[in-house]
Amino acid sequence: MSEFEVRIGDEIATPGDWRLEWDDPDHGLARLLGDGRAVPVIVEGSGSEWFVTLHGRRIPVSVRTWRERLMAEAERAATVHSGPVAVKATLPGLVVAVVVAVGDEVEEGAPLLTIEAMKMQNEVRAPRAGRVIEVSVASGVAVATGAALLKLE
Amino acid sequence: MASTPPFARVLVANRGEIAIRVMRACRELGISPIGVHSDADVDALHVRAADHSERIGPPSAAESYLSIDAIIDAARRSGAEAIHPGYGFLSENAGFASAVEAAGLAFIGPPASALEALGNKLAARRSAAAAGVPIVPGTTVALEEDTSAVAEIGLPVMLKAAAGGGGRGMRRVDRLEDLAEAMAAARREAAAAFGDGTIYVERLVSPARHVEVQLLGDRHGGLAVLGERDCSVQRRHQKLVEESPSPAIDEEAREALFDSARRVAGTVDFHNAATVEFLVDEDRNHYFLEMNTRLQVEHGVTELVTGLDLVAWQIRVAAGERLPSDVLEAPRHGHAIEVRIYAEDPYDGFRPTTGRVTAWRMPDGPGVRVDAGMEADTDLRTEYDPLLAKLMVHADDRAAAVARLRRALDETLIGGLQTDAGFLRWLVDEPSFTAGDYDTGFIGRAWGDGPALIPEERTLVATAAVAARMAAPTGPTSSEVTRPAGSDWGRLARREALRR
Repeated sequence: MSEFEVRIGDEIATPGDWRLEWDDPDHGLARLLGDGRAVPVIVEGSGSEWFVTLHGRRIPVSVRTWRERLMAEAERAATVHSGPVAVKATLPGLVVAVVVAVGDEVEEGAPLLTIEAMKMQNEVRAPRAGRVIEVSVASGVAVATGAALLKLE
Repeated sequence: MASTPPFARVLVANRGEIAIRVMRACRELGISPIGVHSDADVDALHVRAADHSERIGPPSAAESYLSIDAIIDAARRSGAEAIHPGYGFLSENAGFASAVEAAGLAFIGPPASALEALGNKLAARRSAAAAGVPIVPGTTVALEEDTSAVAEIGLPVMLKAAAGGGGRGMRRVDRLEDLAEAMAAARREAAAAFGDGTIYVERLVSPARHVEVQLLGDRHGGLAVLGERDCSVQRRHQKLVEESPSPAIDEEAREALFDSARRVAGTVDFHNAATVEFLVDEDRNHYFLEMNTRLQVEHGVTELVTGLDLVAWQIRVAAGERLPSDVLEAPRHGHAIEVRIYAEDPYDGFRPTTGRVTAWRMPDGPGVRVDAGMEADTDLRTEYDPLLAKLMVHADDRAAAVARLRRALDETLIGGLQTDAGFLRWLVDEPSFTAGDYDTGFIGRAWGDGPALIPEERTLVATAAVAARMAAPTGPTSSEVTRPAGSDWGRLARREALRR
């Protein structure tokens, strides 16, 4: 298995001496057998992007071949000097407050606006530091998942 | 159970797990359950649990499950004699209860006058205080431009919505300079959620336990006090875990709590089911918070320790039955705990998650109850509450109940999106929870954004993902996987990478 590079978050992880046994492959239900124990997991994904649910927690994992790793590094290098970044809605809801305006300089993690969804107010924060160059929504506007909210430069 | 059904047909004006729960009680009583659905719920589980379901409108809750006219029309069309509102939606809406009665149907809940009187939290505070029940120090009138009351009460304080409930419109204020902003936010949230931005202020009781008392009353003056539930494990002032009995109070404090609950109920014309909520401080003093005039989400905890079917009794007292002595004096056995499984990400501030539930495996076995409104391969509706399931356990004592909960959570497998199951699994091993020593600030202090994975978990996750990739039919061919680093492919890719 050493031909794969496995990452959980930013860190490399190493497979161990466990065997995966499928219970319901269509739904990703399986057990890991090893150390005299059976540990239930859900494994979902394809290609290099996977999610493993363990102890109730759904954990993103990347499992990459040599080639995929190089391609990903190349892609990352290409986006470092990219231009404006669009901030999009990650869930559908109602915009209830916009706390920045065009021209504002924001730090990474600064609150930008609030979307109410599922009875809760969810703050949308800046993915990176930058200047607000466009605000596409206003308070009272309903947005769908993926809707453009604003742009940072 | 009664040999003659209390009603022939009951319309269940709700969706999801609670609609299914109420329909189960109907069936056991020989009642034909009628469902309602929005266009988003045509294929929902609760529709399939009903004998018949009426369409009540488009997906938006405001135009369907919150539409009084649509629901009363549906009841008329289907020939229902009574309406059970479940919790949330119209359950505490006095206008709805009145409209149901005016249509000649029975409302399965407390009378409209009680809903009206207790729906306003400020008015309820005033009447509780007048009945000799301790209330949290604070204002009994609305907080307006004059905020001098805040300084008098002493910081930190809690701002609360008069029309509130469910933790919405609530804000903690630690510094006077933050007051204006917090007031604006609380008002905005309250106005959006309840159509009423009135707020009031209470002193922050901290550390505090949140303990509530279950009441069940008939129309003939019979009132059963069915024990308490401790709901102190909360995030954003919303409950995640409830248990009975409360590990925090002794018999003396329990009796005092029950006495206060009876007094609050006595301030209104009360029958059916309701819950009186209190804060309990370190010295076991209790303070009235609010009375919820409906079935609670966590009613199953009380059902497990009393052996009573609260929903069935709601229906029977609504039909005029008297509570018998074995309900009025129901003994309580053992210990019950409920955990709420929500579609939200505990590793990211408990933000709601969306998507499709793929795998769905619920626990089973001795002492385990699951009330769920979800199944495998179902898209989550973002229009409605993110509660997926309630997992309840019952055992002889608290330690056995915690062990059973741990076992049940290990059997629980939900795929497709993040849920709070990982938080709950952490909780049952957390020493302060297993010791019963926690308060309403516990999650904020002890959880943060969750613990890092331990080395064994990292190994397990890596093993599972690699094994799945190897087994996947769409996976890479072996030649690609094993391609040596010095091959043309590798060199080409590296050159590409360097050029950018």
